[in-house]
Amino acid sequence: MGFRSYVIKRLVYALIVLYVILTLNFVLFRVMPGDPTKMIIDPNFTPEAKAELRSQYGLDDPPLKQYVTYMGNLLKFDMGLSFSTRRPVWSELKERLPNTIKLFLCTFILTSLTGMRLGVKAAANPGSFTDRVVITAGLFTHAVPTFFIQLLMLLLFGYYWPILPIHGTMSAPPPAGGWNIFLDRLWHLVLPVTSNMIVGFGSWALYARNTMTEALGQDYIITARAKGISEKDVLYHHALRSVLPPIVTLLFMSLPGMVSGAVITESIFSWHGVGRYLLDATLQMDYPAAQGAFYLIALAVVISNLLADIAYGLVDPRIRVGAGGAK
Amino acid sequence: MPKKVRLPIAVVLALVLALGIAGAPGAAKMAFETTGPHVDEIIMPIIKEQQARRIAYERGESVVWSGLTQPEDIDRAKAMPNSDMTMTLGFHMFYLCFNMRKEPLASQPIRQAIAHCVDRDNIIRTLFKGYMLPMTSFVPQVSPFYKADVPVYPFSYAKAAEVLDKAGYKLDPVTKVRIDPKTGKPLAQMKIFTPTYEVAATSAELGKMIADSCQKVGLPVVPEPMDFPVMLDKIDIRDFDMYVLAWSLSRNPDFLYDFFHSSQDVEAGYNNPGMRNPEYDKQSELLRYASNLKEAKAASDACQMILAREMPYVPLYSRPYIDAFRKDLVTGYVPMKGFGAASYNNLWTTLNIRRVDRSGRPIEGGTIRWALSEEPKNLNPCVASSAYEQEVLSRLNDSLMAMHPDTLDDMPWMARKWDVGVWEPQPGKKGTTVTWYIEKGIKWSDGMPFTAEDVEFTINYLKANKVPRYLPATQDIVKVELLDKYTVKVYFANVSYWHIYSADLSFLPKHIWKDVKDWKGFEPWKEPHPKIKGYSKLVGTGPFILKEYVPGEYVRLVKNPNYWRLKK
Repeated sequence: MGFRSYVIKRLVYALIVLYVILTLNFVLFRVMPGDPTKMIIDPNFTPEAKAELRSQYGLDDPPLKQYVTYMGNLLKFDMGLSFSTRRPVWSELKERLPNTIKLFLCTFILTSLTGMRLGVKAAANPGSFTDRVVITAGLFTHAVPTFFIQLLMLLLFGYYWPILPIHGTMSAPPPAGGWNIFLDRLWHLVLPVTSNMIVGFGSWALYARNTMTEALGQDYIITARAKGISEKDVLYHHALRSVLPPIVTLLFMSLPGMVSGAVITESIFSWHGVGRYLLDATLQMDYPAAQGAFYLIALAVVISNLLADIAYGLVDPRIRVGAGGAK
Repeated sequence: MPKKVRLPIAVVLALVLALGIAGAPGAAKMAFETTGPHVDEIIMPIIKEQQARRIAYERGESVVWSGLTQPEDIDRAKAMPNSDMTMTLGFHMFYLCFNMRKEPLASQPIRQAIAHCVDRDNIIRTLFKGYMLPMTSFVPQVSPFYKADVPVYPFSYAKAAEVLDKAGYKLDPVTKVRIDPKTGKPLAQMKIFTPTYEVAATSAELGKMIADSCQKVGLPVVPEPMDFPVMLDKIDIRDFDMYVLAWSLSRNPDFLYDFFHSSQDVEAGYNNPGMRNPEYDKQSELLRYASNLKEAKAASDACQMILAREMPYVPLYSRPYIDAFRKDLVTGYVPMKGFGAASYNNLWTTLNIRRVDRSGRPIEGGTIRWALSEEPKNLNPCVASSAYEQEVLSRLNDSLMAMHPDTLDDMPWMARKWDVGVWEPQPGKKGTTVTWYIEKGIKWSDGMPFTAEDVEFTINYLKANKVPRYLPATQDIVKVELLDKYTVKVYFANVSYWHIYSADLSFLPKHIWKDVKDWKGFEPWKEPHPKIKGYSKLVGTGPFILKEYVPGEYVRLVKNPNYWRLKK
């Protein structure tokens, strides 16, 4: 099978998965116990006022009609009006997306680079102090719940040693001047990103260490060393290069987890992002808002998986051949 | 003094002393003024995480830590030397509800016996470290309509057993369960629905404590914690024996009609216990359609007497409003009965709060920081319904009447006076009229005059668009008549004393809203003012103007230079 057919096949799979997710997204909120109007209607409303609101939100329509409207609107990227704010969901998500992307990118880059660097360093010196520290710290932070580390850091750097901002993406009000604003935003990223890094670097480090340890035992590494190539070149140009395909895949596969992990981080640090929006919408049974946020996350998951498949196909031709059967 | 009166007083005193309110600086020493505001700017950072909010207060990044409910938070705030605590009684009511449609809870003696089994003192001491007020009435103690001399059911296993024995529910010596005299069989198991321990630990534990007490007198009551939405669904379809839940009530007891009148025992109605008592129906109708305050008070008293006998609920406790203020940063906050010092309903704190210098002397002007616990989200007054939105909007708008912080009496505010009269909507039928006399010289924040035309426009606009949030207030209004520029008369389809509150709305500036066709989608805080640069279309008559709202980050309010109550 050629690379083009491989990509088309993956794309079709991705679209089917997306359709199923969107349908489940619709059904899930409607089979959840509870009446959404309870969350959006003032308890002192009269039955007439409740009926009026239900009718305005289309909650009285038959489920099939609601489903058709929902799918039709999603095609136009119209996610409807939020029950709780009565504002267009897409407008609300657009407001939050840049913050989530900023948090996510910083976390992703720093976590993966730190984790891999430490993993490679540990693999280069098996049994050393560095190796033991990386393994222990990696296992420990990976096992501790994210919220625990984040609350601990909030307490440490917000209260006992109050040097870092504890909420939001900027000071209220922000300082004047472009450079000052940039530094202020950066300053507000320190706690959430560092805490995410502490929680996340372990899995990267352990994965990189294990794959590198295996690679460093291969014959071509012995040959490279015998040729007098420097240890740095052996590590980064020979060993690391050979383990790149699974690491690239892991990079893409970790994207959805990081997006959904934003729910916790954004809640703890009062970060105005999509994760917090999803949590609030789910708790308030705000169907359109929760569906919109899930839609975005589903898109992120499906696209990351697609990219992972494509990347894997690119770096390892055996995969695309295997997918279509050996020819 | 009867014990039922002694107990609440003792607990209130204990609370007041425990909080150190007596003799505390700040609010207690300062009489409130009806002019203001005394600060130039309020910055409201949005801090959703409660630990972060606490830290922000401790770091001085918020002058207030409002709505404290957790004993550990209250203790922590009390322990801070620069913290000043305020406490006021509230309109909150936590209760145990019976399903009176089902046996054996349809039986009055069973409900009364369960009421005798509730040890409120123990519940409050054990679960809330004493920071709650025991409640035995159906109208909160702080309400002017509270009737103090209704019968109560003090905690006593002996009395519970006596009530049951007298009604023929004899104890089976073998099973230790009461026998139902109607069937001759042991009473069926009765469940108390509560939220789960994970969601509301105190409510779940409270259900267990009541069930344990009931079992001691032979009533087979068991707690059943469940997912909260499932519990609400079961209550909706009346599939329950008992449940515990809370109401946030109001100063006026018109809720007594909604909660217990037989006409409300329908789908989407609030009569969850299923009370159907013709005598009560009559009194609650008199209450709902009372033509004056005296009639309303008499009907409210009668309703409370019947409820005390019928016991559709067992009122359990009421949560007071406890707020902490940084006394090294501000003073002038006013504790308001029923609402607390930091509530958005409390106009007096908004007007009176001011900064202090290093020696604690009040100073004029400057900026204070007041943390918001949630995003205001939508600042369209037709749509905004949550308390978080009102935190902002209440500071941008004024109302026709104000409420005195101590007596909760109505005070003239933007209306210098009002008359309540009667008219004939149809031959032989009576309706209420309310005539408002608006103060002259009030301006919108953009400098345009606020007149009776704005009142007329608002009512007609809300009614024509069937705005759900205001439907309860506008649905009985037949017409509005403009008598002159500052006088407006509102005609209601029926007679009710409570209609004076229906016409006191959050007013819309006619010069802005007359062109608004899509009331749902209008975002006045985002649209620039047509005439004044730097202003938005979110125009109000209140003490502050919205200068900036950065979603997820902060709200910035500045003093309204056109405010009609500015100190001259």
